Amino acid sequence: MSDDEQHNQTFEQASAGASLTFPMQCSALRKNGHVVIKGRPCKIVDMSTSKTGKHGHAKVHLVAIDIFTGKKLEDICPSTHNMDVPNVSRNEYQLVNIDDGFLNLMTADGVSKDDVKVPEGDLGGQISSGFDDGKDLLVTIISAMGEEQAISFKEAPKGS
Amino acid sequence: MRNVPQSELNNLEALLLNTSGNVPLHNRFRALFTLKALKSDQAVHIISKGFRDPSALLKHELAYCLGQMKNAVALSTLEFVLTNEQEDPMVRHEAAEAMGAISSASSIPILKKYLDDSNRTVRETCEIALAKIEWDNSEEGQRHRSSSSDEPQSYTSVDPAPPTSGLLSGRSKPGTAAQSSVEELRDKLLDRQLPLFERYRAMFALRNIGTPAAVDALAAGFSDDSALFKHEIAFVFGQLLSPHSVPALLQILQDSQESDMVRHEAAEALGGIATPEVLPYLKEYMTREDAPVVVKESCQVALDMYEYENSDQFQYANGLDATQLTEAVSA
Repeated sequence: MSDDEQHNQTFEQASAGASLTFPMQCSALRKNGHVVIKGRPCKIVDMSTSKTGKHGHAKVHLVAIDIFTGKKLEDICPSTHNMDVPNVSRNEYQLVNIDDGFLNLMTADGVSKDDVKVPEGDLGGQISSGFDDGKDLLVTIISAMGEEQAISFKEAPKGS
Repeated sequence: MRNVPQSELNNLEALLLNTSGNVPLHNRFRALFTLKALKSDQAVHIISKGFRDPSALLKHELAYCLGQMKNAVALSTLEFVLTNEQEDPMVRHEAAEAMGAISSASSIPILKKYLDDSNRTVRETCEIALAKIEWDNSEEGQRHRSSSSDEPQSYTSVDPAPPTSGLLSGRSKPGTAAQSSVEELRDKLLDRQLPLFERYRAMFALRNIGTPAAVDALAAGFSDDSALFKHEIAFVFGQLLSPHSVPALLQILQDSQESDMVRHEAAEALGGIATPEVLPYLKEYMTREDAPVVVKESCQVALDMYEYENSDQFQYANGLDATQLTEAVSA
């Protein structure tokens, strides 16, 4: 039974079989939620609804940040239209090695994952130097729409 | 939005009343809906100044907005408009409907008085407005009012009648509407033995269902002989935004035997639906020599709505960004 549960959990974390996006009516979107703008998975940072005319149609102004590049994107759409919302998942992996610009990661179950690059900028530098210092690091990988990126890391709890 | 500086209000007033003489009608409408969104007493006063205008279309929209603002300060103006028997019946009708929207018991005597007005549209509107005020004060109406603020509504308008009991929620739920309920509502909608208020309730219930079958049921109402009833169906189509209703609306717009009020409402519904096939018709009827003024003007306003829907403009009611409207004037 416990084996079964563990299996299900892994299955869910890998989001195997899940679609990359799902539709949602624009008026149902919320600040801090996700949305696809210009083909990019974004996090909504600001949202406003227009005043309406005769028939009460409103438009929604979305300001959002690309979750991978941090670039600001905007969109205006009728509140009744469907927007795509990306399935975004976050998973934590143990860092076992850094090899030729890629992170060698491992899940809690010992499955290895070697296809995520060392992130650019300070974050990448901090991960590399932490690893060089022999620290045991846990790296969080965000994935959406077939793209993955390391977004944060922390030192593994001692004695784990 | 609450604290609009006096200079901005003056600007909106000048746009709405067209004091410069060169504000296009569709931009006066945008100024009107900006004022409507403010909901303040000052906005009511500014809108009330517009009833000396020659455009029946503008004046009826002033009355409509005063009702939607639900501000009792507007009642004296609305009473003045309804009692002015020289006024266009479309404007008087809208004043009576607005009293129903505001739903003050103090409007009951005047609405009763015009139950036997010489104009059928005015009479019928008074009948529906009285029934609405009564319903608002009924147990069901009170319960509805206290519960409906909790859940999001698809349609934010104050309607002349609530949807049929059991379908009161404003949220459209096409999945849950059985075919049988659409048929039952269609029968109610088309039953001329029923009071108009009950037929209207079926109309708004069908709007909330919103499926193609519900649209067909609503479109069947266009064969009625009440202009008031038919114009409300056209309005509901403007809210529903179903491309499925476009053929019926185009037919109404082009029917020179149809009453102006119904054709006007069809034109504006088409402007709101704003699919490409409606564009040539709106352009044609905006300038057609044999089209009534109110139809031509409605097509002008509808074209502006069409452009708004198909653009990346954010605000339709953009009168607070007044430079935008004055630029449009000089263009």
